[in-house]
Amino acid sequence: MILDFFKTLVSNRKSFIGLCILGFFVLVALFAPLIAPYPPKVDRIETVEKLGEPSIEEETVSEEQPSDSRDVVTYRTVTREDYRKTTDYFPLRAKPSRHHWLGTNHAGNDLLSQLVWGTRVSLSIGLLTGLFVTLLSLTLALLSGYLGGLVDDVVSFFTNIMLVMPGLPLMIVIAAYITMKGVLPIVLILGLTGWPYPTRLLRSQVLTLKNRDFVRASQSLGERTSFVVFREILPNMVSIAMAEFFATSMAAILGEATLEFIGLGNVTVVSWGTILFWAQANGALLGGAWWWFLPPGICIALIGTSFVLINFAIDEISNPRLRKR
Amino acid sequence: MAETALEVKNLSAGYATVKGFVRAVDDVSFTLTKGEFMGIAGESGCGKSTLAYAIMRILRDRARIESGSIWFKGKDFASLPLEDVEPHRWTDMAMVFQSAMNALNPVLSIGEQLTDAVHAHRQVTKAEAEGMAVAMLELVDINADRLRSYPHQLSGGMRQRVMIAMALILHPDLLIMDEPTTALDVVVQRSILEKIEELQTKLGFSVIFITHDLSLLVEISDALAIMYAGKIVECGPARELFSSPSHPYTQGLMDSFPSLTGPMVRIEGIKGKAPDLLSPPPGCRFAPRCPKVSPACLEAPGPGLVPSGSRRSCACVLVGGDR
Amino acid sequence: MSAKALELRGVVKHFPLRSLMSYGKSVHAMDDVSFTLESGGSLALVGESGSGKTTTASVIARLYERDSGELIVDGEPAKPFRNRSESLAYKRKVQLIFQDPFGCLNPTHRIRSILERPFLIHGLADGASDLEAKLRGILEQVGLTPAEDFLDRFPHELSGGQRQRINIARTFAAGPSIVLADEPTSMLDVSIRMGVMNMMLDLKERNGVSYLYITHDLAGARYMCTTIAVMYAGMIMEIGSTEDVIGQALHPYVKLLKSASPAPESGLTRTRLEAKGEIPSLIAPPVGCRFHPRCPHVRPECREAVPELRDVGGGRKVRCILV
Repeated sequence: MILDFFKTLVSNRKSFIGLCILGFFVLVALFAPLIAPYPPKVDRIETVEKLGEPSIEEETVSEEQPSDSRDVVTYRTVTREDYRKTTDYFPLRAKPSRHHWLGTNHAGNDLLSQLVWGTRVSLSIGLLTGLFVTLLSLTLALLSGYLGGLVDDVVSFFTNIMLVMPGLPLMIVIAAYITMKGVLPIVLILGLTGWPYPTRLLRSQVLTLKNRDFVRASQSLGERTSFVVFREILPNMVSIAMAEFFATSMAAILGEATLEFIGLGNVTVVSWGTILFWAQANGALLGGAWWWFLPPGICIALIGTSFVLINFAIDEISNPRLRKR
Repeated sequence: MAETALEVKNLSAGYATVKGFVRAVDDVSFTLTKGEFMGIAGESGCGKSTLAYAIMRILRDRARIESGSIWFKGKDFASLPLEDVEPHRWTDMAMVFQSAMNALNPVLSIGEQLTDAVHAHRQVTKAEAEGMAVAMLELVDINADRLRSYPHQLSGGMRQRVMIAMALILHPDLLIMDEPTTALDVVVQRSILEKIEELQTKLGFSVIFITHDLSLLVEISDALAIMYAGKIVECGPARELFSSPSHPYTQGLMDSFPSLTGPMVRIEGIKGKAPDLLSPPPGCRFAPRCPKVSPACLEAPGPGLVPSGSRRSCACVLVGGDR
Repeated sequence: MSAKALELRGVVKHFPLRSLMSYGKSVHAMDDVSFTLESGGSLALVGESGSGKTTTASVIARLYERDSGELIVDGEPAKPFRNRSESLAYKRKVQLIFQDPFGCLNPTHRIRSILERPFLIHGLADGASDLEAKLRGILEQVGLTPAEDFLDRFPHELSGGQRQRINIARTFAAGPSIVLADEPTSMLDVSIRMGVMNMMLDLKERNGVSYLYITHDLAGARYMCTTIAVMYAGMIMEIGSTEDVIGQALHPYVKLLKSASPAPESGLTRTRLEAKGEIPSLIAPPVGCRFHPRCPHVRPECREAVPELRDVGGGRKVRCILV
């Protein structure tokens, strides 16, 4: 079933192109250590050389003869080694050069390295958020769709309220209260604002499936509720759940960039969004330092484009009527 | 000699799939006389709908006519370019589809849809078109005050009657009906068929009626054609086909309907299932399921439709040329 | 074991409508539904769409609970289930065959997995080899052999007729004593239907079950069952043996149904339908006799009160003041 899903994505030409773009970035993220010239937060190169061979000197500190048959000599060995440490500081706010293909930022970090390493962070935040949201919305959808009644009323009520609330202000409010470090806060913010829409979508799918004859047949045979939900209904939702996962992950990547850009996320983490944040904070846009803000912007735009392209195939999955015969 | 309304000769049509060309209509020929009610019976996948769409030239996407001719109004519709077919559509040849709810536009009133049909093909004033619409609705027993109703406000039977009114509004010579009553209850079905008979007497058009319900068809048709796996296997006057079917498939089909009033006996239907049209059997396509199969039946190219009586024909090696 | 497998007395089931516009209104799916199914017998519940026959099956299968009236199964009145084992015991006794061969099997499960469930749920197999033997047994009973050809397939790999046989196999697996068949052949190809219907008759002989056979087709009802109950707009209109009711219909609606049903064997000239109009909405059914708006013999009394379902001798009951 998961295989069928990917087959659908590949067979549609537009989505295949989108998949290629996404695949490229995934490879960059996976092989970041091999591709990036430097680690992301490094602003200098330190070289240490040994000068000459170590010299060893021995000197006697004291001699004693406490008795006829005992000599005690205290001596000291001193090894001397000379080292030379050369520190090359990266230039600050440098234009692209042979050493730094995309130049450097305000702290001297190589921008190309930041971009490559940042791919990891951007993509993984997206995937983690996608996973979190998909699991949450699937659970809520199955519970409220299948059980109906009060459970459904309560869940739908909250879903509808969350749907109506404007996303960005909500994110700002949540961000103001989170004090954790690292990427988890961003995943939480994006996740907590992103679950309502997939929940609604998946819930309506559950409702449709609940009325299918094979579910009724299962119930009339005497199947337990948990069995019906997990073995009858859930397998038929794999495609649409995967489609949601994809869509949410992509939206989260874009969402993360947005949050970082306006300074709400964790600005010490290196991702495309934070590169843009620092670029903006240091006047790169006004100063015309295109090598600073353009590359991450292009990456974000490319991911967004691949999202749109893959969506053509995903739409066919969620809405079978769009499928060409 | 009665005038011919439609003559189909060696028509082949089908659609392209990833695995090859599916020939849903394979070398089909028949003749329809003026004013005749011809039924085409067959089960799902036999190609009857493709045949109807081919005659109307409304095959789309990957479906197309491969070869053969469709003689109507002195022209070969199979080879005419679409612009030359257009003027004949609806004015000379019209179609009633299976599901009225899918064929009627849900956001337009039925009056608008009827007048749309008129305006698309004739230069008339709004008032004239509305007059035609009202006249047609009355003919199908729908009150004129329903002109402004929307499809969802009408019952299933009424919607199908609107479809019939829409098809007949320009008084075409040929009406093709693709399973028009399948989704309807038996009482509504019967009332619609009675209405069609009445209209046929009044307006004089010819009908091709496609369905899988042979028992229904036998009662209402003048002539019957039985289709199986893309081919016509038997053809002739409805009553004769019912009382003495020659082709084993027709015999099997007649043996698939329990009797309502006759003696109660066990009937068997037909075993097996229809062949895959991507790679049909080389000889007779019914051979794998035929209770009377003989070695000759399996040889390519399979039996052709030969005359087997005064107005009958049959495609079976067991049925001789003349009876 | 009592002589009556199933008895309904005055069962009522209404579905309240939930939207703001239809506050207080409900769908009157079943009103005063009463009939008896003898042990080892077969009763056809005949009606058109919107007659309430599917709701009746759902109520008997306890998918919904009735609003009022008595439901007596095997001599015991049906009571609300207190725990899962009571519910399971009932479900083992009363099973439902669904109509749609394409929708009744989970497309993501293999046939083996689908057929195992009834055995596993009711604990009917001890060990894997016993289960395997039972699977083969049930496949053989529905004519799907060799079992290897079917057990590891997915539903979409089988034809409509084969899927319906699997559906029926699943129903019989747990050994029910009452089988409710909801239009089991109406979505199958015509030539396949008899095979499935004959198989159902054979299964009945072999397993000694009682059938409630729900259909809209009078001829099919006559073939399958010895007794018949005709439903219209949520009420039973006539009950009796199939030969009597179909041969000499008493209720005007049953006469209408008979005259509308195809019967080519009775000669090919038909009398025109007497009644006009269509099936009423169950939300606001006609007051008094529900058939009165369409009845050609309507009298003022018909509009005032609902006629009783009266015994008229010979096992026949009719709900009409004119009989």
